[in-house]
Amino acid sequence: MVTLLLIIHGLVGVALLGALTHQTVSMLRQRAARGTAFVDRYCGVSAPTFTIAILMLYVVQVTLGALVYPSYRIDVRIPFEEMSLGWAVGLFELKEHFAGIGLALLPMYAFAWRPDSAATHRRERIAITLLLTFIVWWDFIVGHILNNIRGLA
Amino acid sequence: MKPGFSPSIFAIAFCGTYIAVFALNSPLFRYYPLHGDFNWGRQELTGVGPAITWYGMLAASGIVASLLAVCIPERGVDKLVRNNVWLFACAAMLACVFLLRNLFA
Repeated sequence: MVTLLLIIHGLVGVALLGALTHQTVSMLRQRAARGTAFVDRYCGVSAPTFTIAILMLYVVQVTLGALVYPSYRIDVRIPFEEMSLGWAVGLFELKEHFAGIGLALLPMYAFAWRPDSAATHRRERIAITLLLTFIVWWDFIVGHILNNIRGLA
Repeated sequence: MKPGFSPSIFAIAFCGTYIAVFALNSPLFRYYPLHGDFNWGRQELTGVGPAITWYGMLAASGIVASLLAVCIPERGVDKLVRNNVWLFACAAMLACVFLLRNLFA
């Protein structure tokens, strides 16, 4: 059961990573994409339409992480501590805390991407989207590193 | 007056409470996954295995932030922090790194 949850956690992570990265690249690209090149097509999406999907994926992802957490605490973290891998424990701690802080940003993220906030909260929109992208990438990479050191059995 | 929800106050209060709870090691509750026990308050149980504090930290931060986001009128705060809410999240993340520095020493 834990293995299944971990696989779903990973898959939702990929979807969230893709959606947020897509939105971020599209947001940062200044000129409108009109060409047929891959980059133009990649950026030629309506970034606001990703917002609801990203909000839902983020909440689902944190919930899945919370469900898997007890198994990590017993089956992975204790061996890390016995192997004196303090840095690995520290990386995971940062992963969980960053994910929690990301939850704090979700209402502001939703607000900043509303069409009527475009003019007044532009800087907020860019900064929070970049911050959430960083959090999701960090959590994804750290999760993989730790799983490579010692996965959940 | 219609009650509203201020996303900026929610973010600031959540980050502030989260770091305070983390620094003071005072989650709302602790969960002990070995036997599925919950323990409310600051006191740590012994002999029941490792504790998870993260759930209690999220719960405490979420409750405080939700209450403040509903109770404090946004208008004044929004003028003060408009376009700078992300700085509070950055500060909270840096505070986490600082509080965990011993693990990387």
